[in-house]
Amino acid sequence: MISKKDLENLAELARIELKESEEKKLLKDLESILKHFDELKEANTKKVKPMTGGTFLENIFRSDESLSRLDPDGAIKQFPEKTRGFLKVPPVFE
Amino acid sequence: MDLENFTISSFHKRLLNKEFSVLEIVQTLFKFIETRDKEINAYLSLLKDGAVTEAERVDIALAENKFVSILAGVPLAIKDNILINNTKTTAASKILENYIASYDATVIKKLRSAQAVFLGKTNLDEFAMGASTENSGFKITKNPFDLSCVPGGSSGGSAAAVAANMALAALGSDTGGSVRQPGAFCGLVGLKPTYGAVSRFGLIAMASSLDQIGPITKTVEDAAILFKEIAGKDEFDSTSVNHAYDEILNSSIDKIRKLRIGIPKEYFIGGIDKKIIEGVEQAMEKIKSLKLEFKEINLPHTKYAISCYYIIMPAEVSANLARFEGVRYSSMPEVEEKVKTLRDLYFRNRGSGLGVETRRRILLGTFVLSHGYYDAYYAKAQKVRELIKNDFVEAFKEVDVIISPTTPTPAFKIGEKTKDPLSMYLSDIFTCPINLAGLPAISIPVKKYKLDSGELPIGFQLIGKPFHEADILGIGQFYEKLEA
Repeated sequence: MISKKDLENLAELARIELKESEEKKLLKDLESILKHFDELKEANTKKVKPMTGGTFLENIFRSDESLSRLDPDGAIKQFPEKTRGFLKVPPVFE
Repeated sequence: MDLENFTISSFHKRLLNKEFSVLEIVQTLFKFIETRDKEINAYLSLLKDGAVTEAERVDIALAENKFVSILAGVPLAIKDNILINNTKTTAASKILENYIASYDATVIKKLRSAQAVFLGKTNLDEFAMGASTENSGFKITKNPFDLSCVPGGSSGGSAAAVAANMALAALGSDTGGSVRQPGAFCGLVGLKPTYGAVSRFGLIAMASSLDQIGPITKTVEDAAILFKEIAGKDEFDSTSVNHAYDEILNSSIDKIRKLRIGIPKEYFIGGIDKKIIEGVEQAMEKIKSLKLEFKEINLPHTKYAISCYYIIMPAEVSANLARFEGVRYSSMPEVEEKVKTLRDLYFRNRGSGLGVETRRRILLGTFVLSHGYYDAYYAKAQKVRELIKNDFVEAFKEVDVIISPTTPTPAFKIGEKTKDPLSMYLSDIFTCPINLAGLPAISIPVKKYKLDSGELPIGFQLIGKPFHEADILGIGQFYEKLEA
């Protein structure tokens, strides 16, 4: 089962800040959800190939040309801070 | 104006008869929404300017006796996870509170060229994650049949808007039942198309191998009209497929009578509300009167569907939602406090901008994909998914359509399931297997429900073979003629 440390590690991987107060409830919820998943153990999947999604599984190709049908200005407009059309963010390293 | 009795085809007929103008209808609707939506909370934003402009355009075309499509002037509500250019699209998440879409989703583009009118964007569970619309970051939508009940979810705003006559029809998205279940809870028709039938371009992705956009309407015929318009191959969604849906609107009873209907015995045991069983049995009796053959079938792996779904879906969610950090898609409103590094910014924005259920699913998805657990959970679930799909493949050798309840209970009370996420997840029991298998399915109300009757609506589900929307829509259209 998931420990408090596991949960904090998951939050770290997912880049989510968790409040100390919500950890307990989250742990309890995840535990009961994972317990429910135990039923899958009894399903015999020895010779089964995984289904990876889709209705028709075939490769789709298109020619290697750049398509610029979308207006980049609309996207850039959303940036909280920008410089010369680039998104400006805080430094990666301190 | 009797907004209540409008369907898309009756609206079209009366519009061509010049009984009213589109502008009149649109203005009447906005006025009605202003008061009615105060108690329902179906809309997150209204698109008055765009709607009026489009209405006038259709009125001019009609005045000039130009041909207009059956959807011209039809007032629609759009779930707020579908992009409409230059308008706010929030997915009911605080992290997207200020996001303005910079392009139209393909479905919107198609409806625009059919001259439909978009009234507004409707409420949903944040990023379409939930079965009650209670997970919205902004407000709680109420069921027009009983204001103390949920409208279902995640497309609860779309369903409530149509049920309360605040739109003629709506679009929702269905990942595990999010169009069909609110349809059932609000006495409406909800169609989840075959995976690949409708382009997902411009739909804010939740679980890419499961998501489909579908109509929520008052009649099966309306669902067929909208589906036909939005379906088709799209160069921007490589999973979309071209298919001719010629017979969707003019099926013959002789063809319909050739369809064999399967009753999965696994779908009619234990834990289902008595009223649901009665409702579905009532529907089956009526379908029998159309002289269709019924047959019992087995879907032995369906019992694993919830577990399978709640592993695969969060896994895809954790990947799809990684892009939301409160920077690229607009900034979050109340972020004033300065951070030192980009990393800190991610943690802070995703911690405060994403709601409880969203964070729970991202963490769960991160867990099932993480080292040491991947095989036991994610890889296992993908194999079980294949077993679930194979059950349907086998069943469809014997029958053409499968009937089941849409939900285990009628609409539940607001607050009833919010404390225990697992109990909420279990409401997807009859709908999520269909997404796992990529099949088309429709929820149809057992009968016509009146808003003030005190009765909560019940829906039944028809499941079809891939790209056989014509079968389920065909039976549905003859079914609703029996009603009339």
